[in-house]
Parts: sequence; C-alpha cells; structure tokens
Amino acid sequence: MAKKKIHEDQKYVEGLLNNNSFIIQAIYDKFVPKVVNYIKQNSGDADQAQDIIQETIVTIYNQAKEKGLQLTCPFDAYFFLLCKRKWLNELKKKNNKEVTINEEVLSKDDDAQELAFETSLFGEKQALFNEMFQKLGTACKDLIKATFKIKSMEEVAASLGVSYAYARKKKSLCIGQLTKLVQESPKFNQLNY
Amino acid sequence: MEEQDYILFDNYINSELSAEDTLTFENRLNNDSAFAKSFNVYKDATRFLKNTIENAAETNAFKRNLENISKNHFKQEKAETNTTTKIKTKTITLIKYFAAACVALLFGVFTFNQFGGNPSYSDYNSHEPMTVTRGSVKDLIAATKAFNSEDYEKANTLLKKVLDNNPENSEYRLYYAITNIELDNFKIADTELNKLINGASAYKDRALWYSALSRLKQKNIDATIVLLKQITEEADDYKEAQKLLDKLE
Repeated sequence: MAKKKIHEDQKYVEGLLNNNSFIIQAIYDKFVPKVVNYIKQNSGDADQAQDIIQETIVTIYNQAKEKGLQLTCPFDAYFFLLCKRKWLNELKKKNNKEVTINEEVLSKDDDAQELAFETSLFGEKQALFNEMFQKLGTACKDLIKATFKIKSMEEVAASLGVSYAYARKKKSLCIGQLTKLVQESPKFNQLNY
Repeated sequence: MEEQDYILFDNYINSELSAEDTLTFENRLNNDSAFAKSFNVYKDATRFLKNTIENAAETNAFKRNLENISKNHFKQEKAETNTTTKIKTKTITLIKYFAAACVALLFGVFTFNQFGGNPSYSDYNSHEPMTVTRGSVKDLIAATKAFNSEDYEKANTLLKKVLDNNPENSEYRLYYAITNIELDNFKIADTELNKLINGASAYKDRALWYSALSRLKQKNIDATIVLLKQITEEADDYKEAQKLLDKLE
C-alpha cells in the first residue's frame, strides 16, 4: 500500500498522546457538538453522548499509543464516524427499544471511513483482550503484570520465587491462554483476524 | 495450538530464535493459516498487555484529565440545552401559526406552479432552524434567535462575529452563507458555500443545495442545474433537489 500523506490534523492525535489539555478542550469545542447533535437526534441524550465521546477519545489515545495511529484525513470526519459507529453499536445492543435512525449527511471521505473502521476494530479487540484477561487465574495475571512492569525476567522470577526458565515458560503459556480465550470467544469472528 | 507453539511465538517476538529456526517459523506462518492466525492474536495480546501495564500511570492521568474536561463541557452543554428548549418552545407556538400560513401559501405556489410558473428561491427558503451548539454563547443565542425569527440582517452580523471566532465551525459557516443569500450578498454566500463544498464537513451536501438555491435566486438556471445534479442520493436534500430539477429542465 502506498504511503499516504499525514493530515495536518495529526496535531489532535499528538495532543491526546501528550495529554495536552488545550488540544483536548479544542476537540470538545470544535468536534463534539456535532456528535452530541447526532446522538440526540438518534434516540440518545446528552449523558449517553458524553460517555460515547469519552470512550471514543480513549480508544483513539490507546491506538495512538500502541500502534502509532497516523491520521490521513481530517479529524472531524474521522471522529464523527467513530462516535457514530459506536453509538449505533450501542443502540443495537439495547435492541429491545424501537430505534429511529436519523441518517445524517456524512463525509464521503474514504480515508476517514477506512481509518474509523480500523480504530473501532482496534477498540473492539482491546475490549475483548481486557475481558479475557480478567478471566485468567491470579497466578497468570500476577506473572503477566510483573513481566511488563519489571521488564527484567530475572527480577520477575526472583520476585515470584520461581526459576528464570519457569518464569519465561509460564509467561508464554499465560499469554497463550489469553490468546486461546480470545479465539474461543463468540466475538472473535467479528475481529477480522 | 500446543504449549510449544506459544513458547515459539514468544521467542520469535523477542528475536530469540536462531537464523534457521526463524526461517522455519516464517515458512510455517506463510503456509499454516491457523498457526498464523493464532500468532497474530498472540502478538496483539502481547502488545495490548505491554501497553496497558507499562503505561498504566500515564493512561490513568490522561483519563482523569479527559474526564474533567468532558464534565465541564457537558455541564455547559446541558445548561445551554435548557436555554434552547425554552427558546424552542416559544418558537414552536409561533411556528404553529406560521405553518398554517405556509400551508395556505404553498397551496398558492403549488397551484401557480402547476400552471407553468417557474420555481423561485422563495419556494425553497424555509430553512431548518438553527440550534445553539457551543462557542461564544451569548452571540450565538442572539444569532440563533435572529435567524429563526428571520431577522437575517441581525443574524448575519452576529454570525459573522461568531464565525470569526470559530473559523472551523462548518455549521456557523453554512448559516452565515444562508443569511447572505437572504440578503442578496451572493458573492459572499457563494464563496462561503464553496469552502464547505470543497471541505470534508457534514454540511458538504447541504452547502451544494444552498449553492444551487443561491444561483436560482440569481436566476442563473444553468448553474442551478449543474449544482443540483451534484447532490448525491444519500443527501437529505436529494428528493427536493430532484423535484426542483424536474421543474427546471
């Protein structure tokens, strides 16, 4: 795939990464009102909009941190699509209520569609990893936490009172167990692996 | 996957395999799709854990900051919503009478059109009401009130001010453009609408519609037709645009 030009709105992504309050505030001033309007027009209220927006921003932050998200389209279109997708998923989940979807005029920006899709997929993966991590036994959880906190496997082994070789092997198997749990989940098939 | 496979995954990720083993591993990745799939999940799991655990403190600081900004924003948003609702209730009572008048007027226009009259801008200038979003609130509320009560001159001045402070807000730009059409400042209106048409905002299609209406008001029928044809099927104004096209062509 040819390398696409990074959009100047990458500044918003960088701002999130640096926990820059001015940038976060600017996102709320410039881009959030449109999302709130959309959610309100589509069976939601301000409280629900607040949650959807906050979760979306955290997902963008995580994707930027973990995968070096690079914006190739305006932030506005990307952000709106992401929130919209999240809100529609939320409505689907509730499903017991009849829902009226008020289709908005959307940006037809392909880059935005593609990027928003990637980010929401990333968010769904994260949620599933998190859910399955909680299902691991305490021993696995502790070992995994120690591994990524302490970094030196020798120290991890010492802190847990096990041999280095055992700690190494156990770490692989614990992450393997997480891998297995994720793959066995009914949600796995929607994750495009 | 076997236990041995997970150990292999980890060794590969940490570049701990010999050159020969690496080659064998990569061959298997290319030829064994179940193996490759599990490896991708394993790799993502590792990355997820690494990021979540290593950066936990930073992420929490970010979330706290975000939460504060969000709370403040929505406190204002909710307060403003109350104001808008009040304004809206007032407008609605007026709208009831106005609607009755409109129906009567539409009948007139409709009958007139059926007998071969040409469509004109005034058939289409029933704009969607403005709603207050966020920004310099006082001016914005005043602009919204002026716009919704069709005092376009006042709305125009206020919207210009609001737009100058929020040059990236496409909604203000659209409404500012509409007031300019209403006031026959076509040059400004068309320039502002072009900015929206060439941009990527949600108001792109609506800007096309208004751009067409502006040309209609200027009696430039050819340009009106060209613009109307660019309105996509997904646009809110598509049906209306098609109807107008039928009448013009």
